[in-house]
Amino acid sequence: MKTSLFVLRKLMEDRVAFLGLLLILGLVFCAVFAPWLATYPGDVWDLHPVNRLLPPDGQFLFGTDRMGSDIYSRILFGARITILVAVIAVGASLIIGVPIGLVAGYYHNWFSDLLMRVSDIFLAVPQVVLAIAIAQTLGPSLPNVILALSVTYWPWFTRLVYAETRSLQNEIFIESSIALGASPWRVIVYHILPNVSSPIIVRTSIGMGFTILTAATLGFLGLGAPPPTPEWGRMISESREYLPQAWWYAAAPGMAIFLVVMGFNLLGDGLRDILDPRIRRGQKDDG
Amino acid sequence: MKHVQLSLPKALTRFTQRGIVVVLAIATTLALAAGCKSKPSTPAKFVFANTSNYDTMDPHQAFDVGRVAVRLNLYDGLYRWHDNPPKIEPWLAESYTVSPDGLTWTFKLKQGSKFHDGSEVTADDVVYSTERIFGVGKGAASLFTRMLSPGSTKAVDKYTVQFTLSKPSAIFLSIVPEVHVVNSKLVKEHVKDGDWGAAWLSENDAGSGSYMLTKYDPAVGWTATRFADHFYGWGDKFIPEIEFRTVSEINTRVLGMINGDYHGTDGYLPQDQVKRLKETETVKVLEQESMRIFMFQLHNQRAPTSDVHVRRAISYAFDYDGFIKNILGGSAERNPVPIPNNMWGVPKDVTGYTYDLEKAKAELAMAKSKPKRSLTIGVLTGYAQTEQAATLLQNGLRQIGVESKIESFPWPVIVGNMSKPETSPDISIYWISTYYADPNNWIGEMFHSGGWGTFKSSSFYKNPKVDDLLDKALKTTNQEERAAAYADAARIVYNDAGGVWVYNTKWFGPFAKNVEGMRFSPVGEAQEIRWMYFQ
Repeated sequence: MKTSLFVLRKLMEDRVAFLGLLLILGLVFCAVFAPWLATYPGDVWDLHPVNRLLPPDGQFLFGTDRMGSDIYSRILFGARITILVAVIAVGASLIIGVPIGLVAGYYHNWFSDLLMRVSDIFLAVPQVVLAIAIAQTLGPSLPNVILALSVTYWPWFTRLVYAETRSLQNEIFIESSIALGASPWRVIVYHILPNVSSPIIVRTSIGMGFTILTAATLGFLGLGAPPPTPEWGRMISESREYLPQAWWYAAAPGMAIFLVVMGFNLLGDGLRDILDPRIRRGQKDDG
Repeated sequence: MKHVQLSLPKALTRFTQRGIVVVLAIATTLALAAGCKSKPSTPAKFVFANTSNYDTMDPHQAFDVGRVAVRLNLYDGLYRWHDNPPKIEPWLAESYTVSPDGLTWTFKLKQGSKFHDGSEVTADDVVYSTERIFGVGKGAASLFTRMLSPGSTKAVDKYTVQFTLSKPSAIFLSIVPEVHVVNSKLVKEHVKDGDWGAAWLSENDAGSGSYMLTKYDPAVGWTATRFADHFYGWGDKFIPEIEFRTVSEINTRVLGMINGDYHGTDGYLPQDQVKRLKETETVKVLEQESMRIFMFQLHNQRAPTSDVHVRRAISYAFDYDGFIKNILGGSAERNPVPIPNNMWGVPKDVTGYTYDLEKAKAELAMAKSKPKRSLTIGVLTGYAQTEQAATLLQNGLRQIGVESKIESFPWPVIVGNMSKPETSPDISIYWISTYYADPNNWIGEMFHSGGWGTFKSSSFYKNPKVDDLLDKALKTTNQEERAAAYADAARIVYNDAGGVWVYNTKWFGPFAKNVEGMRFSPVGEAQEIRWMYFQ
């Protein structure tokens, strides 16, 4: 409790990181209150061909899309999908990646080598390419996108946790707890895990942004949720045909993705500064 | 500890790297833009940007508009469709005669026509090509099997071919252009395991057409150079080299036209893009009445769309006016039956289903097999209009309480799925273009139960009465009788809501301003390049 208060106070001081936090809170707010914030909540499904491709004005804040639906309302509902995808995919990666990293890092045997080589195989292929391959094979749908992202993102956590665990093993407090007869399980859960949590938190925040970007890429390529899901990447993909005339059609979801990804990245950087005082950004060195 | 020291410089380099990438990207874009502008105004090569990819170059394996350029430019048939309204003209043949019973068709070949390797086109090649259509069993094969059986074509002499039909067929001459003649000697050299040379011919050329294949890559497209010895001869104006490139992205095609990278592209772009092209000084857009029906094929064999009331409900649940007027900008015309409005045989008394959700609900209430599961709507990847129609239909269906999901397939994939009732989607959205100018091209192939397996008949409709009428329409050559039979069949299929027919298309063919001589026909859609030249 104390630590989280400390982190929060530090975040308030770091204006850039705080901006990141605000952006993310804004995303959550939009997602939760979408039905009330939206001017045309029905437009996730409803189509009005007569209002097709209208530029932004007082009635349609971000203009309308190719089927005459309100882009502003659709973006708000898209925030829900974005959060859903990011949280489940990164959460699943955490659940898979962290234990494997801990086990592989703690033990020094063929099994830990095997685990790391498997994660190397995943890391050898660029994540987007691998995710495209998986989503293409399984067929386009939201659950498959989440699956593809989880399957391809966990090795990043494994690598990170593995390296941290290996370096922690040489620390005196670990050696002493082993000497005191603590079981490997106890050492890993009570002594190593809390000490690798900071980089995990930082990685999670940055990973959220990264995952949202990859999910949007998959949506853009038509591998995401089928129409008329208001998924941001899909919205940009639909808009291509009407560029450059209907600039708002691509600009609105593009801006949404940009802001959210930036939010997670700024927050991630800020969290790293706070949780890991050894590597502050340049301008902070005096403070 | 270690990762700590590494992080800062790493982050910095990443930053610089990103900067370099951005600068490079901008530089490349500028260089490309500059490169486009400096292009000469009369290039030697005509480049056509095609939506679909050329997965095969075999003239007997594909029978669709997406890949029609292969057949029209590299191969020749005995007859060929030209102009609008389409007329059939002698091509490799000079004339034909029919026996009084309508069963024996004798074609006289022009003498001295040459294949690309210099050998002469003879009756034996025509016979081999006909047998090959059956042997390969794809493309137009299912159309020919209804009137012709393997082994019933023979070479009377070097320049005379005789087809003996199993039953009289009014459309035989109409589909004779699909007998694309291949060099039998050359193909036979490349036959492997009795495949009729299918593997070899899918990436090589054994034709006599106006152009000779020089390069082919399924991922990119193909290039061909003029065949100077072509039987038709050449005037003093022609295009020496042609390229058909696959460009699936609409915006890339339009930008390429504007920049002058492409000299032609498909004539069915969204109206917003047509408008953009019309405003471009270096591009002209030709306009023609075409014959190309946009429709939703409903699966007539699988519940719930096997129930006529469900099909009628679907027919009432689509906003035809909203789609045609708003989304297509009024560029098409409502077409209520499976025969294009500008073709003969259309029952003029049929006005078509309208968008009426009350009627749709009433129909649904009468249905015995209620749609409990989510219906699959298959759309074509790269053809955004199919997806837009699907969303609009989905919206209507949702309001009458029918759930549906949209699935996108590349054209060759959905063609494969539609070949069997088990794998065909509940609803498939696409067009049927003109392959030969006869009502049979639409209603005949779409709703005769003998045609199951081709992409045209993915509704898997079966009605003995309709089969009889469609058979009858093929037996006689009297056009009045034929028109009446097609009109009757259309009325029955319409009442059965065997499918949903939305509109008939106009063609808006974009070409570079300096290209002249295009000959548009609904068959082939102006993709026969031999008539064109640069000014």
